[in-house]
Amino acid sequence: MSELKEVYRAVSPAEFFYKYREIAGFANPARAIYQTIRELVENALDATDVHGIPPDVKITIRKADETQDFYQVTVEDNGIGIPPNIVPNAFGKVLFSSKYVLRQSRGMYGLGVKMVVLYAQMTTGRPVEVITSKSGYKRIYYFKLRIDVNKNEPVVIEAGSWRKTRDWHGTIVSVTIEGDWSRAKSRVLEYLHRTAIVLPYANIVMLTPENEIVYYPRIVNTMPRPPVETRPHPQGTDLEFLNSLVKNTDFKTIEELLIHSFQSMGEVTAKQILQVAGINPERKPSELSDNELLSLINAMKTYDKYKPPSSRALSPLGEEIIKAGLRRAFNPEYVDAVSRRPSAYSGHPFVVEVGIAYGGNTPIGEDKPIVLRYANKIPLLYDEATDVITEVVKEDISWDNYMISFPSPLVILVHVCSTKIPFKGVGKESIADIPELRKEIKLGIMEVTRGLKQYLSKKVKEEEARRKAEAVAKYIPEVARSLAVILADENELNTLRKEIISKLTTIVAKKTGVSLDLIHGIVKSIEAEA
Amino acid sequence: MPSQIDLAARNKALDIIKNSMRSLVEQISRGEKPILVIPKRTLANTIYDLRKKMLLLGPEIQHRSFTDVNEAKKFMQTLLMASIIFDALRNNEYPTIRDLYYRGKHSISYKTIDGKHVSENTWEEQRESDGVIRDLEVYLSVLREDLLILSKEKGKVVGNLVIRSGDDTIDLSKMGHGAYAIEPTPDLIEFVDVDAEYILVVEKDAVFQQLHRYGFWRKYKAILVTSAGQPDRATRRFVRRLSDEYKLPVYILADSDPYGYYIYSVFKTGSITLSYESERLATPSAKFIGVMMTDIFGDSVFRKIIKDKDARKTLEEIAPGVSELKPKNPYLSESERSNFVIKAKTKDLERAVELVGYKVADVCIEDKDVKNKIKKKEGLTGYPWFSTPEWTRELCIFFNTLSKLEIEAMASKGLKFLADKYIPEKLSIGDWID
Ligand SMILES: Nc1ncnc2c1ncn2[C@@H]1O[C@H](COP(=O)(O)OP(=O)(O)O)[C@@H](O)[C@H]1O
Ligand SMILES: [Mg+2]
Repeated sequence: MSELKEVYRAVSPAEFFYKYREIAGFANPARAIYQTIRELVENALDATDVHGIPPDVKITIRKADETQDFYQVTVEDNGIGIPPNIVPNAFGKVLFSSKYVLRQSRGMYGLGVKMVVLYAQMTTGRPVEVITSKSGYKRIYYFKLRIDVNKNEPVVIEAGSWRKTRDWHGTIVSVTIEGDWSRAKSRVLEYLHRTAIVLPYANIVMLTPENEIVYYPRIVNTMPRPPVETRPHPQGTDLEFLNSLVKNTDFKTIEELLIHSFQSMGEVTAKQILQVAGINPERKPSELSDNELLSLINAMKTYDKYKPPSSRALSPLGEEIIKAGLRRAFNPEYVDAVSRRPSAYSGHPFVVEVGIAYGGNTPIGEDKPIVLRYANKIPLLYDEATDVITEVVKEDISWDNYMISFPSPLVILVHVCSTKIPFKGVGKESIADIPELRKEIKLGIMEVTRGLKQYLSKKVKEEEARRKAEAVAKYIPEVARSLAVILADENELNTLRKEIISKLTTIVAKKTGVSLDLIHGIVKSIEAEA
Repeated sequence: MPSQIDLAARNKALDIIKNSMRSLVEQISRGEKPILVIPKRTLANTIYDLRKKMLLLGPEIQHRSFTDVNEAKKFMQTLLMASIIFDALRNNEYPTIRDLYYRGKHSISYKTIDGKHVSENTWEEQRESDGVIRDLEVYLSVLREDLLILSKEKGKVVGNLVIRSGDDTIDLSKMGHGAYAIEPTPDLIEFVDVDAEYILVVEKDAVFQQLHRYGFWRKYKAILVTSAGQPDRATRRFVRRLSDEYKLPVYILADSDPYGYYIYSVFKTGSITLSYESERLATPSAKFIGVMMTDIFGDSVFRKIIKDKDARKTLEEIAPGVSELKPKNPYLSESERSNFVIKAKTKDLERAVELVGYKVADVCIEDKDVKNKIKKKEGLTGYPWFSTPEWTRELCIFFNTLSKLEIEAMASKGLKFLADKYIPEKLSIGDWID
């Protein structure tokens, strides 16, 4: 029996993702084109609204080859642009990102656009083209580049620049990939539609290969407040982070290092924690042993008198923006939204926002509301069944108690924003069941649904009042005629009749609390028929 | 051209309607919801007045407000009816209740709040509009006859009586073989001259004709009236007026069955559906002359029943004195009885229970199977004006013999017997039930 020989080697991240592209959402040509658009659009949005710029995003998809299914996808934004020295790495080095800071954004791994470039490389062989400039720059920069898969390094094929004639800032990224547009199209449209609901402050245009224009114009001028970069919360950190902190610091004492590296960490707190960990506050950070670091991190995690994590790193949409988006999408009879107060799990701040739309063009939920899920402003379209939001809607809310019976034209929008969304798995499509989060989602849904219930019961009451008014008003003309026949001469008959009609109209309106116009309308309709 | 009396009646009616409607319009112009205040016309609000001996409307009042969803239609219907009656009065017309039904029936079409076109009728069946007429009578407290609403003429009368009807004077002793048909508006009749000692009301038209041709009324100084079955309002009002104004006693001759007894009670105390009219239609002094069960069977049957102590006790509780009534001999022989008597049906028995209550039936019926048939009426206590010793004895015999008899049978024994023996003899010895 001869033993099999094991071969050992390391692969570069680029090579890894090149091989296992389905992990990043590039499983097949239809999925690939959808994923490409998403990655480029989300980068464009991160470059705009995160920085307080009202987004102008233009997406162009066109057939790039007569015979093969090659498509050129171009996304243009008016964002902050990219410094030219950064561009090669940003687009050509897997796991290179500007978003490894504690601040709510869509991208976070430094992977997205590189997957697109890799996928283009392996299907059409064409390089990515980037045109970019920042505000204040005098020139516009141009790059054509590819990725050296083995080295995980960018290979710049062409680079250049030209003078700016107007103060344009932003980025245009263009790739050519193999794709199945006809199968991807409806998903892409759905994605844009869902994105537009939470981004009524953005201008989004898409030009399809069929030369159709899909346009979501900006309808509100307010923007969500941009997120502010924050220091981590001591409860949201780990030993690895602490290790790199003590190695790379200039601070002389561990106490100083803690105070300046974490939020909610003042002198008193730092001293107490160090005492629990048995570490002298004056110790030099780089000289702490592994065991000391371990007891330090444990002390930090178990200490329970911190202020909760700051929510300044978050950028909730706000109630008005959600309502505006829902209004445009469904022209509903009733709309409302609530932005819950910030909360936290394991040291990560989060905010839950819930919108509700009822009636009008709101789609019908057969046995539960239609649920629109969002994480950090990104719509979640897949894996709905396993999402905690879906579970709350199905299991935690008794819709009967809110006067809602299905089928019902009801949409519930849930937006979770956090510096760390607890996604289930690598797909980033469904949110895990974290008790703190589940509770907030439930409270948020209950809050907006209570409002709907009030609206519905008021409506039922009004409807009842109107029915009652109608049941009486329809007899006004006959009653008036009868009385006039008895009490007036031939020539005064009509005058008296009209007088009685108008008096009775007022009396009935007052008695039923229904508008005069409504009763007038019924009376008139009878007069017209007679 | 309507007669003077007719015109006067019209003007009076027009005024009554106008006045009550004016007060409604005043409510409306003050901005108040218009309300019709109407005595309740329900069975529960029908009471038997022991002193007046008639069925009357009770004290319950109903407020029919136009703005009340459940009353709005009735309100409209009441006013609609008032307006068509008003219109007919003004145009010298004489509508019947059927005419009024047709005149008022039309559709109201309107657009609902949700924009649907809907159409509904002011009323559907005549039953509905008849009810509205009754409401209006009660509301205005006038009888329909005062509003010149006509109904079919059913009652007839002959006798030594001169009346003025319209502009004509009519001698009711000169009607040949015919008779005067009592007009639907008996209050417009003026009695000019009467020469009679009593009024005899005969339920059956055929017997009325036989007695008329026989010359009964002339010979016995009677006013002869027939209601031809269930008495209509005009006949009842006519009898009541004549008896009131000339102090004439009234005797009713009806079939010997629960229907005949009930016809008598309608003349005497009023009917349940028209209790609001009793004050003007009922003749509380009317007496039942026959045909009685005791006229057919005598009282031996009854005596036998009250030999039983328990039976006697029960019946005495219902009608004290029932066991001390004067004995009576029958007018019919054994063989006549077997020829003339008809077997009572379950319906007759049920009706009888309604009159005197279940206990009398329970005591007097012998046949178990028959008793079972009326089990469902158990609990009924009967009408107060039937729980007298006389009626208890009569109906006890009825229950026991399960027999009934039509007046015609008495005539079959011989018109002479009916006219010259049965009626005069009973009148002279006072053999009637009051
Ligand atoms: N349209 C753009 N405008 C500005 N910067 C961009 C744009 N697209 C990509 N970038 C930069 O490139 C980096 C890498 O992008 P990407 O690979 O998608 O990773 P991530 O979005 O997760 O950071 C981003 O962090 C950002 O700094
Ligand atoms: Mg990205």
